[in-house]
Amino acid sequence: MLIPHPLLGLRDAQEFTYLGDANLMNRPDPNAPNAEAMFCDYVFLRDNPAGVHRELWYHEQGDRSWLVVTRNTVTHEILGAELASDVALAHREGSK
Amino acid sequence: MTDLTPITALGGTIARVETYGALSLTENPAMALASLALRKGQSVPSPFGMTLPEPGKWTKSGAIGVYWMAKDQWMVEAEGRAEEDFARVLKVEVPEASVTEQTDGWAAIEITSSKGAAPIKALLEKLVNLDAAAFTHGAALRTGLEHMSVFLIRRAEDRLAVWGMRSSTETLWHALVVAARRLEDI
Repeated sequence: MLIPHPLLGLRDAQEFTYLGDANLMNRPDPNAPNAEAMFCDYVFLRDNPAGVHRELWYHEQGDRSWLVVTRNTVTHEILGAELASDVALAHREGSK
Repeated sequence: MTDLTPITALGGTIARVETYGALSLTENPAMALASLALRKGQSVPSPFGMTLPEPGKWTKSGAIGVYWMAKDQWMVEAEGRAEEDFARVLKVEVPEASVTEQTDGWAAIEITSSKGAAPIKALLEKLVNLDAAAFTHGAALRTGLEHMSVFLIRRAEDRLAVWGMRSSTETLWHALVVAARRLEDI
């Protein structure tokens, strides 16, 4: 399986380690009034889709970057990869 | 009496050299190494007048080589300066960036081929999950080699450098020698 790294091109999946759902990047605000319920969802609840899934991968034996990889969990087809730092930045700018 | 003779990463007093067919492996204890990381929002500097390389690349000017490590991070090599405080020299060039001495954390093994590019390509195909055909002169990548994290640099079509963790140099050397020995016919 090859992962299309945004900076380095196609790299072997063996160089990466897998973390999980990319939604882990959206950590709730601990000061919000409903923080307890939001953290309960954040920590314990995950979607487990059969199909397209966005997930976090770490390029451990490479440039040590975190990637958001879009993968089809049924066919294992990799549909795209972005730097997680870029995704977080876009998210922050979008919420302003 | 206390023996204070410096030893190389492979434990010798001089660099180890071994040849198998077209491939020669040489330990390079004289190469200094320092990392260069940009601070947040910092513009890209040009240490020693060099343009810092793009992702996956290595450039060289005189005795100084630079290869890309990660976004806004590079490794800077200096031939024959392992016994100096090279990080300090680099820091003067890039006062705003973070510079860290790396020389004795890593060990460099230089591989040269007497039959052009083919034996180097065969060695890469045997050892690493990279596109060996695309790993041409000026390419530099970090990858896994027998579960060890290494930097590979294609210094020329007939030359390859491997930077590995100094503490596992003996294991890395063994891995390279075993592969080179099996390519003696090429």
